[in-house]
Amino acid sequence: MSEKRNISRMMDIRELKVKIGDKTILKGLTLELEKGKVHAIMGPNGSGKSTLSKAIVGHYDTEVLDGEIIYRGENIVDKEPEERALDGIFLSFQHPVEVAGVNNAYFLRSAVNAKRRHEGKDELNAAVFLREMKKYVEELGMQPDMISRSLNEGFSGGEKKRNEILQMQMLSPDMIILDEIDSGLDIDALRAVSEGINSMKNGDRSFLVITHYSRILDYIKPDYIHVLKDGKIVHTGGPELVAQLEEEGYESLGEA
Amino acid sequence: MKLSELRQSTASEILDLFGADESKISLAEELVKKGLPSKKSEEYRYADIESALSLELEFLKQSMDDIEPCDKLIITDGVVTHAPESVSVRYTSAIDRDMKHFDPLYYLGHIASEFVLALEPRGDESLKIVHRLTKIKTLIAYRVALFIAPNTQVNIYESFDDCSADGSLVLCGYDAFVDRDATLKLIKNQTLDSQNYRMIASHRFKIEKSATIDLATFDFGSASSLQTMKVELGERAHLEASHLLYASGSAKRGTVSKILHIGEHSTSNQQAKSILADKARGIFDALIKVEHSAKYTKAHQGSKAILLEMGPYMASKPQLEIYIDELEASHGSTTGQLDSKQLFYLRSRGISEVEAKKMLIQAFANELIDKVAGRSIQEQLHISFDKAFYGEARMECIDTCDGCEDALVGDTEEINRLFGFSQ
Repeated sequence: MSEKRNISRMMDIRELKVKIGDKTILKGLTLELEKGKVHAIMGPNGSGKSTLSKAIVGHYDTEVLDGEIIYRGENIVDKEPEERALDGIFLSFQHPVEVAGVNNAYFLRSAVNAKRRHEGKDELNAAVFLREMKKYVEELGMQPDMISRSLNEGFSGGEKKRNEILQMQMLSPDMIILDEIDSGLDIDALRAVSEGINSMKNGDRSFLVITHYSRILDYIKPDYIHVLKDGKIVHTGGPELVAQLEEEGYESLGEA
Repeated sequence: MKLSELRQSTASEILDLFGADESKISLAEELVKKGLPSKKSEEYRYADIESALSLELEFLKQSMDDIEPCDKLIITDGVVTHAPESVSVRYTSAIDRDMKHFDPLYYLGHIASEFVLALEPRGDESLKIVHRLTKIKTLIAYRVALFIAPNTQVNIYESFDDCSADGSLVLCGYDAFVDRDATLKLIKNQTLDSQNYRMIASHRFKIEKSATIDLATFDFGSASSLQTMKVELGERAHLEASHLLYASGSAKRGTVSKILHIGEHSTSNQQAKSILADKARGIFDALIKVEHSAKYTKAHQGSKAILLEMGPYMASKPQLEIYIDELEASHGSTTGQLDSKQLFYLRSRGISEVEAKKMLIQAFANELIDKVAGRSIQEQLHISFDKAFYGEARMECIDTCDGCEDALVGDTEEINRLFGFSQ
């Protein structure tokens, strides 16, 4: 199928229908994500926000029934999760899993070098990698021992989120999805995480911020707000929409 | 001959066959009473004992050679050839054998061994024991008695190097006596492939008052073998036992143990982890028995197994036999596949499914390897596991990296620790 793709778009999601188990969650969702922009998705519980993020990264829970996820001109719905990651899609998980026995540095170096190989670059040797990692760890205000601890094992909620941002910074993805990155963060952690995210803005990179609350949007300024209800985007607006949602709730919004 | 032919023999005939003297008649009688193990035997029902006993074997005539000084203790086909001067080595037949051991091959091992190697470290000691097995299609039987003096600590790292005993059956094991307030740390590292020898190691560990044994066994490869062990815990004695098994091919391999809490306030913690591939069978058949005399015992036992595909099988049977109320005890067993959430998390960062699985398997193994004290021993264990699992050791020499000398200053040890490199 030949089709002209809009090169200003990072991702084009068209009529996406996704089920988890026996339940269809996304019911024909359409969403356009522009290059270099921050898109925020808000919506009530159970509307499909996390399912959308899972579907984009190819989570095994999700089954795409119909529709397309066009990423940089290519439909990725049949791609493996690692292929999507290597192509530059990154999901910051709401609940990052703990992996005992795999140290943080070893894991992250494996991921960074997998991406570098994919891009035809030389792998980072251990010393250079470690120096780089320590720099980001310091900037994020993480404890230095988190480098050598098992991946997310025994981390507090804030430490886990910082670790997600650390991975994001070192992997330098093009399309960043932040699933409830603000949940469980105190104000200091929220500020550190937000600064990490904002440091990644470069005019080309796109962000999809999934959140329940407007608080994070005080730190990461969105260009667009999308309201997701019952598996579809029902409204799209500018940053001013946040205030309206705060005052009137989701019920006030009809079809986009 | 085949050892299975002993099934019809009397005690005297067994002694005659092995050229053993009358002092071993009680051992032979006990063997006859228990009978040679078969697949119907409780302790051997998961193991591949019938084929081991059906091997056509030559008998080995052992001779006591001069012992050369060396930093390691080397046992070649059951005879000590090298030893450090800090360890007293003598050959004896006069040790306190366990006449209530559950394993018939414990008795057969003693009968077939011409002597017992008695090792007595002269104080606190870190000892490397290297077993070399060189005779093919031979019954290699030898027993080692360890005497750990009161209030001393002995660390033993045991490996099996340069072994070329294809088609042989090795019957060996420790009779270890850990005296009051003493500590024995014993680490075994053994990789055994299907074309190699088979081994039945039958151990007896006796831990006196306030003494400790810290036992860590690492068994890798595609050959069938078994370690059986009986542990007796006196008052306030402690056993810490961990077993890591990676079995592949058609191996039937693992641990059969009986831990007896005899003294008050005795404690034990036994944890087994098994990684099974192909059509391998892992065995963890482990009993903790708390006697009437062992009030205030604490006993914990667990087994975790990962099946890498549909073919392997884990025979996990942790058991508690308790005769008192005043104690703390637990046991548990899980068998499953790799955690899908962890696997996805790694893949979502660009790590291939194959690599992610390897990483998780390595992590599962690391939990026991990294518990072992001593960086160099950990490295040896990592290398052994890598060779068994990947087919090669994944070593890098960071000293050869170009362009990173400045970054290396002060970081070498940290990098090795983080990334598991060997220099």
